[in-house]
This record gives sequence, C-alpha cells and structure tokens, in this order.
Amino acid sequence: MEDKFDVIIVGGGIAGLSAAMTLARGNAKFLLIERGEFCGAKNVSGGVLWGNDLAKLVPKYWKEEGGYERFVNHRRLTFMDDQSAFSVDFKSAHFDAPPYTGVTVLRSVFDAWLAGKVQEAIESSEHPDESFLATDILVEEVLQENGKVIGIRAGEERFYADCVILAEGVNNLLTRQIGLEKAYVPVDHMAIGVKEVLKLDASRLQDRFQLTGRSGLTNEFVGACSEGVEGGGFLYTNSDSISLGLVLGLKDLKEKEKTPYDVLNTFKQHPAVAAMIHGAETVEYSAHAVSTGDIKALPSELYKDGVLIAGEAAHLLLNAGKAIQGMDFAMRSGILAAETAIEGKKAGDFSSSMLKNYRTALENSYVLKDMRSFQDAVHLLHQQEMFSAIPNMICDFGRQFFTISGEPTPKASKMMQASIKRHSSYWDLVKLGLKGAKSL
Amino acid sequence: MSSTNAKGTLSVAERLGTVNFRNQGRSESKPHIVVDTEICNSTCTHKCTTRVCPAKCYTLDDAGLVHFQYEDCIECGTCMYACDQGAVSWNFPHPEEGKGVNWTLG
Repeated sequence: MEDKFDVIIVGGGIAGLSAAMTLARGNAKFLLIERGEFCGAKNVSGGVLWGNDLAKLVPKYWKEEGGYERFVNHRRLTFMDDQSAFSVDFKSAHFDAPPYTGVTVLRSVFDAWLAGKVQEAIESSEHPDESFLATDILVEEVLQENGKVIGIRAGEERFYADCVILAEGVNNLLTRQIGLEKAYVPVDHMAIGVKEVLKLDASRLQDRFQLTGRSGLTNEFVGACSEGVEGGGFLYTNSDSISLGLVLGLKDLKEKEKTPYDVLNTFKQHPAVAAMIHGAETVEYSAHAVSTGDIKALPSELYKDGVLIAGEAAHLLLNAGKAIQGMDFAMRSGILAAETAIEGKKAGDFSSSMLKNYRTALENSYVLKDMRSFQDAVHLLHQQEMFSAIPNMICDFGRQFFTISGEPTPKASKMMQASIKRHSSYWDLVKLGLKGAKSL
Repeated sequence: MSSTNAKGTLSVAERLGTVNFRNQGRSESKPHIVVDTEICNSTCTHKCTTRVCPAKCYTLDDAGLVHFQYEDCIECGTCMYACDQGAVSWNFPHPEEGKGVNWTLG
C-alpha cells in the first residue's frame, strides 16, 4: 500500500461504499478506510433505504439472500394521542415488483454485505491488488499542503491520494478539521435517533403484520409517541425483527428537559405500539445523532482542492413527512463524488474548479433539488402543533366518528368543529393548512 | 437479549446490556471523550448532557454535580452538539486502545 492512490475514502458506510463501488467499476486505485472492526460496525440508521440506486450498484440485488431485510409495499402514517392511533395506510401490489421503492435494512448487516460486493468488484477490476478496503483504522488527520488536501494520517501512518472523499458520517470531525464545517455545531438542526431492535420469529412477524415472502411494512408515528417533543416515531419490519425508535429534535428535547430513553419507553407502552411489539425481545439498543434536513445545516461547501464531502458528513438528509431519506442521499452522493473523482483522474485535475462538478451534479440530482423544494415542509414539520395539537385533534375526531353510542349521532362536520375547538383553533388550522398546501 | 417486563419498558442499564462494546477485556483504555466537568459544575445552568445522553454517561450525584464516564458511550455524538459550554472534547475511540461500540445489527 506504499504507492499513491487515486482516491482515499474515509468511512465504510453507505456513502463511502457507494463511492468505492463506483471507483472499482471505473478502474481507479483507491483505499477505503473504516474505523470499525468491519464496515457497518459503527453504523446506525432507522432504517429504510429508499429509491433505486442500490440496483445500480448491485444489479438484481433482490435475488440475493443477504443484504436488505424486507422490501416495502406497505406504508402507514399514524397520528397518536395517548390512547388512540389514527392512521393513513397505503398498501399496493405496484410496490411488489423489483426494483423496489424501498428496502428495510440493519446497517451492520447491510453495510458488511455491500462491502463484500465492493470487494468482488475490486477483484474483477483492472487493479485487483491495488485497491483496498481497510478496517479497524481511525483516520485522525486530513493532510494538506498549500491548502490542498493530499492524503490522510492514521496514527503514525500516512497515505496519499489525488483526491480524498470524506464519508465519515454525521459526526464529521475531519470535515470540521479542513474548515468546511464550523468546529462547534449547535443543536439547532440536529436530532437524536434512539432505537430498539426487537426479535420476533419470521412466521409470527409475517402473521402479525400481514407480510408475505419478503414484503415489509414501514410505519411512522407523530404525536404522543414523542411526549410532545419535536420529532416522531418509526416501526420497520425486518426479516425476523422489528426496528422501533424515535427521532427527537435535540433543541426541543433539551428545552423540554426530557430524556430519549424515557420517551422511548412511553412510545413502547402506547396501546397501539404495545400490541405490535408484544412478545418481541429487545436484542439491541442503539442511538445516533442525525441531521434534521435543514438546508442551512449543509457545510459551507461540499468540496475544496483535493477533497469531496459525501453522505451525512455533508448533512444530506430530508424528512418532508413522506419518508426519512438519508441513506439514499448517501448512496447518490457517494456515486456522484466518485464519478467526479474519475473525471478528475481522466483530466489529471483535482483542483476545486474540477471538483466543483460534484456540487453541480448534486444540485442537478434529486438530492439537493428535493432538499431545496421541500424546505417548507421541513419547517412545517418542526412546528409545535404538528406533534401535539394536530395529532390530538385528529384522534379526538376519530374517537367521536367511530363511536356508536346509542345516542343520536352528530354530523361529522359538527364532530370536527368540536375537535378543533378542543385542541386548536380555526385560525391556526388555516395558517397551517396554507403552509401545508404550499409545502407538499 | 433483554426480556421485556410486563409493561414493555426497559431501563438504560438493561438496554446497554444488549450492546456489544469493543475491548471489553482491556483493564485500561484510552478515553475518547474528555469532559471538563469543572465547567458543568460551575458556569453551566442546564446540565443538559445528563438528560440527552442515551447511554447515561453523564450523571448527577445527590449534590447535583455532573459526573462523566466514557465506558458506556455508544458514540452517537449527541453530547457534542448538546453541550454549548465548551466542556465536551469529543473524538472517536481508538480501535485498539479505546472502547466504543461494535454493533451487531446497527
């Protein structure tokens, strides 16, 4: 490993591995460095991987036994008060055929599998002995010369490359080190995800969630699940387990003086959730910081001389109410970063004016286009009403609407009026409605 | 595995019991996070790390003083953002000399 590499990738998560796969296919010589014992050992997600890029990286991945857990053909969004759950539910056979619109994943399993695929791609490339996936190594420093990134240092060892791709994840210490992100990042655009993976054998899981074969359900929750803290809950079905967790706005969590683990207990005890996880055993608890998807959280730039920033290190994430997209953005940005590096190699130019093409490609892709066009939705979802008044009002209406009491039944509009009065006001709803109509 | 009680809730200790940590056998390890608790216990008014840390690495004693231990840290990064007092020096654990997580499922 003495020679200079074309590219060094820091981080063997989805962004880093997607870049690596692209470089292997492009016959570039690269070194990917992962600090975990294996790729995936340090990685946590909710996790649904949306979109179709996986099929580009691993053609016909759905024919593989490993990798993903289940494909998503059933989506549910649930509004909660402390006793009730009112859901919007969509299941479609349109989602049954590959390439799937989304797959559930467990990162330590998925990333390790993807790393295996990258290794295969290296072996069938023009440089099977000159590209490497190196694990158990912590990159401590990005080496620079006259403002240009020239390599990295891990302990006493230094490795050099024409271009470094930082795919180090949300806790982007190296991105800060080279000045593309401030040394201290405050809570404002950050959240914390906490999760339990609960084991339930496949046949019980399939019966309980009406799954067939490898189909899966994703369920997001908003309201009482977060005890009024900005954010929401999720439940995803895996092969033989359930991923259950919360994403909580860190600023709001801090201000409301709540703890993530107590809120998670509250969520688990909600009658609708308790019934779904009944008899399942917690096999792993995890937590991770995550960006909230505010475009203001992006680093000052995503490239400079000799370096590109990909994935959550660049805070590429979007939750516009429809889905939490982070891994698909990581995948696309990793691919685009690698493509730019390959262009650079062809041109013999790794200056910022060449690497700027990465930014342009991201701006022209759905990643930054969607982040930009759904910022209103991101902001709407962070309004206090969205996790208390609105879910409470919806559940209040649901309770009235579905009650047969033996008394004369008021019209639904009367019920709605009563629910609105109890939990909000017309004026607030009109304001929110206007924002909502504009944002989606 | 951690079996859920009748209510379905788990304590942080029970939850951490499900987490694999690296270098468990090492008697001495290098801390990857250093907290200047002098700051927590003098000028900080909110002591928020004692609540937001999902692994309870930051605790309050009976006298209301903040204490920190890195051994249970699951490297989530939350304290690095939550602390606005400059008390937290956050880093990744060294693969051999540090502790840190080794997720099985992630």
